[in-house]
Amino acid sequence: MQAAQGGDTEAYVLLLKEITPRVRQIVRGQRRFLKIEDIEDLVQDILLSLHAVRATYDPRRPFMPWLMAITRHRLADAARRYTRRAAHELQVENLPVTFSDEGTNIEGSEYRDPEALRQAIMALPPGQRDAIEMLKLREMSLKEAAAASGTTIGALKASVHRAITALRKALSKEI
Amino acid sequence: MTMDTEKLIERLAEAVEPVRPLSRPWARTAAWLLAAIPYVALVVLAVSPRADLLAKASEWRYLVEQLAALATGIAAAAAAFATTIPGYDRRILFLPALPLAIWLGSLGEGCVQDWIQFGPDGLSLRPDWFCFPAIVLVGAVPAIAMAVMLRRGAPLTPHITTALGGLAAAGLGNFGLRLFHSQDASLMVLVWQVGTVFILTAFAAWAGQYLLNWRSIVGTTPR
Repeated sequence: MQAAQGGDTEAYVLLLKEITPRVRQIVRGQRRFLKIEDIEDLVQDILLSLHAVRATYDPRRPFMPWLMAITRHRLADAARRYTRRAAHELQVENLPVTFSDEGTNIEGSEYRDPEALRQAIMALPPGQRDAIEMLKLREMSLKEAAAASGTTIGALKASVHRAITALRKALSKEI
Repeated sequence: MTMDTEKLIERLAEAVEPVRPLSRPWARTAAWLLAAIPYVALVVLAVSPRADLLAKASEWRYLVEQLAALATGIAAAAAAFATTIPGYDRRILFLPALPLAIWLGSLGEGCVQDWIQFGPDGLSLRPDWFCFPAIVLVGAVPAIAMAVMLRRGAPLTPHITTALGGLAAAGLGNFGLRLFHSQDASLMVLVWQVGTVFILTAFAAWAGQYLLNWRSIVGTTPR
């Protein structure tokens, strides 16, 4: 780390490659419930934080307590972020599939034709079709779909909304 | 996963530039005092020191209160700097507790003495709005210097760090104030001056989330 503070690129790569598996192991040990990609996000976050505050390392002091303190604080920050987000986020996927009101219940709807739906989806513009496929057919999360398509969560939400409106229009015409 | 970790390591290594390791907290405290004390002295001279300053300097109570206020500021500064060093012993957080206790204790004892000597009149409380802007004025440059220095560290505990930084600047501000403001009644000092110090400390604690956060420093790192 001392060499890295002096701008030694090779020493820095060596250090980061050596500590990454240990950091990953700690993150995995403390956040067993997370998916692999989320664990990797946390590991990267810790590496970025280490890089940003590398001037705070005192070469006269041991390296591991310094690294562990950053890891501990970043994990706690991530947990706080998650709790905050969970408190404000409505899990739309978990809403009841149907409601008691007959007007909202599609069980008896006349347009429950899988082939018509498939064709209507195929007729959608590519962006909307991809969004529907990833989020509704393959049941990916918004985060996963955004990563896979290289777009933003906001853009995906808008595409899904437009696609559902278009599908509703197309299917109601066919009745 | 936003990107491959291996790629991130390569990018970080490409971006690595030589950095000067931060000095130890006590050395940084000394550097902060070097910037702050001349400013405090300048303000005291500009406002003009109190006429009875020499006489007050021989009063033990005044000396104890002033030394305790100064020591609180210095200890709080050292603790604030220590909280920005990952892995530093957290017990240093309690360092300002002793001088603060002496400061509050001497003022409390002063209140009791005033009560014994003058009865209820000795504990009369009058408005003294001058204290707040005066402490803000004297503590302004120390506070700015503290904020700049703290931002070079790691934002591990933003609220605690800035609260300690605020206590350091406000403690120094109060020390300076009593060099030109002739208000020595213990209850008045306790309520208006120490009260101002606590209000400024609380404000600094609140501002911690905006002043020190990972978002602002990690955001400048190449991803």
